[in-house]
Amino acid sequence: MLKETTKTRVVGVDLAYKQTTYAIVDVRGNIVAKDGFPTFDHANVNDFVSHLSEGIMTLAESTCGYENLRSVGMSAMNGNFLTGCIENSPNLKWGGQIPLAAMLRDRLGLAVALANDAQVRALGEHTYGCAHGMRDFILVLLSYGVGSCTFSNGRVHLGANGFSGEIGHTHLKPGGRPCACGKEGCVETYCSTKGVMLTAQEILAESSKSSLMRDCEHLNPRTITEFCNQGDELAIEVYRRTGEVLGMALANYASVINPEAIILTGGISKAGKWLLEPTNEAFEKFVFHNVRDKVKIMTSTLVDLERDLLGASALAWRVKEYSLFK
Amino acid sequence: MEDNIKSRVVGVDISVKRTTYAIVDVRGNIVAQDCFPTNDYPDVNEYISVLSEKILELTEANGGYDTIRSIGISAPSANFLTGCVENAANLPWKGIVPLAAMLRDRLGIAVGVANDAHVTALGEHAYGRAHGMKNFIIIALGHGIGSCIFSDGRAHLGYEGFAGEIGHTTYIPNGRECGCGQRGCMETYCAQKGIIITAKELLAESDKPSLMRNLAEINPRTIAECCEQGDELAVEVYRRTGEVLGFVLANYASIVDPEAIIFTGGIANAGHWLLDPACETFDKYVFRSIKGHVKFLLSSINNRERDVLGASALAWGIKEYSLFK
Repeated sequence: MLKETTKTRVVGVDLAYKQTTYAIVDVRGNIVAKDGFPTFDHANVNDFVSHLSEGIMTLAESTCGYENLRSVGMSAMNGNFLTGCIENSPNLKWGGQIPLAAMLRDRLGLAVALANDAQVRALGEHTYGCAHGMRDFILVLLSYGVGSCTFSNGRVHLGANGFSGEIGHTHLKPGGRPCACGKEGCVETYCSTKGVMLTAQEILAESSKSSLMRDCEHLNPRTITEFCNQGDELAIEVYRRTGEVLGMALANYASVINPEAIILTGGISKAGKWLLEPTNEAFEKFVFHNVRDKVKIMTSTLVDLERDLLGASALAWRVKEYSLFK
Repeated sequence: MEDNIKSRVVGVDISVKRTTYAIVDVRGNIVAQDCFPTNDYPDVNEYISVLSEKILELTEANGGYDTIRSIGISAPSANFLTGCVENAANLPWKGIVPLAAMLRDRLGIAVGVANDAHVTALGEHAYGRAHGMKNFIIIALGHGIGSCIFSDGRAHLGYEGFAGEIGHTTYIPNGRECGCGQRGCMETYCAQKGIIITAKELLAESDKPSLMRNLAEINPRTIAECCEQGDELAVEVYRRTGEVLGFVLANYASIVDPEAIIFTGGIANAGHWLLDPACETFDKYVFRSIKGHVKFLLSSINNRERDVLGASALAWGIKEYSLFK
């Protein structure tokens, strides 16, 4: 079969808690066009898929044309690459198993791949970001939850059922803070947004020192970072304790994976050195000696939303091309 | 067109006491096997000379050297990516020893080396419990604790080939002292020495009668024998050990999502005395989407054959090479 053209565009979709964004991306990772809508405008997932597929069609027709679209990649919380489903997401409104990839494929007539947010970020960093050229690395996502993805020998390690990477639900010791997953002491209860806030409250309660955090109306990880920058001792202590837990969890992780780098992403990682320095200190203290001083702990250099869209586009290139109309 | 397809490999297992080497065919049948003491040769050059001579002798007596495709070696602290044994704590040769290159130069065929957990994983995948599995974890419980992850049908080696050091993940910060210089490594609770310490601690903190008090030597095997005779304190030793093991494996499984965890090594012989409490703690701590999906299995390969079989599987996985072509 002689073919004169290949399809040169893919669609990347980022399904996040607040906003769903979709973009048309070319082979070099240039975002040609993008648009979006609030995820929770649609309580019914069928309406959501309709809105998304119409949006993608409109965007395609106004730029490169539908016939140039090769495939679609999606990033979603609790997305499972192996099944193409969103599975029991505690944060999205649609419960149970949602075969999102199949639903969207049926509407668009194109191949659709779905993966969880950490996997898509790892793909994004590997293709266009600071993990470019790395074959073995770990990407950690510190946000409302704590997730991760391991790259093994140049590929995403998915695990037997696609659930690998649940670093947020590992434990440093028996007992500890209760977690939404039903267990106690999960790393997530210390290193996610909620965990950092709890640590802040604990520190404020156990100390009588003055702190900018005491009078702050909207205390959140971002404002705590601002207070750190202003030299607030207790605010610095919040991230020191967070980093201590994170560093130890990552040390255990790195001892079994032996990564070239650990890339921290997500809102909490924006605390920068206030988090990274104590994390690194605890990491080097606990990690096995033949890995010590060799693992690069770094933060992402890409803009968050752009990275997730690019990651989803990289995912799209990896699935087999399929078209209803061939 | 080649009429002489080489149909056999040599598997070598270097352990602290003994070096075992065997000729293995494509189906994993051991055609011939022999061994010699490792510690007789503190000079590694001399050791390589002896090993290559012995391999030649064995192959000449069993079908000829030209039927041998390649050689696989299992050794402690070996790195598959470099072909070296790197700072092995228990072997007589110090520093970085380029074992694969040295043996290849003597024998003129391809040689691969890998650490014991990696080789065990290859053996179980080719001929044992993990046959047909794409994602699993091997846990080798012995003097130390090693592990190997299979990811999508291949061993995950990591950036520099050091992956799998589960024995040196921290269970309790500032806990028991470990040979690696850290404190509280899980190995100090679940490996041979750790179990003996736990047994002694238990005997000291309780004045209950126990068969362990009369043992000439307390070791994992004799403690397991006491368990079989219903000794409460001995059962408690493995219960505490299993609790630590289950906790650590739950964390491991939560990040790897394996189909199975396969146990090998001397301590695994304690069987259900160790694995029942390990399973219980595992279920308590593992992430819910993984709970109930991970099989705990004991290796099905004969202890004496596992390492040379694994080494033979390693030999098949490397590129063929011959000086004489």
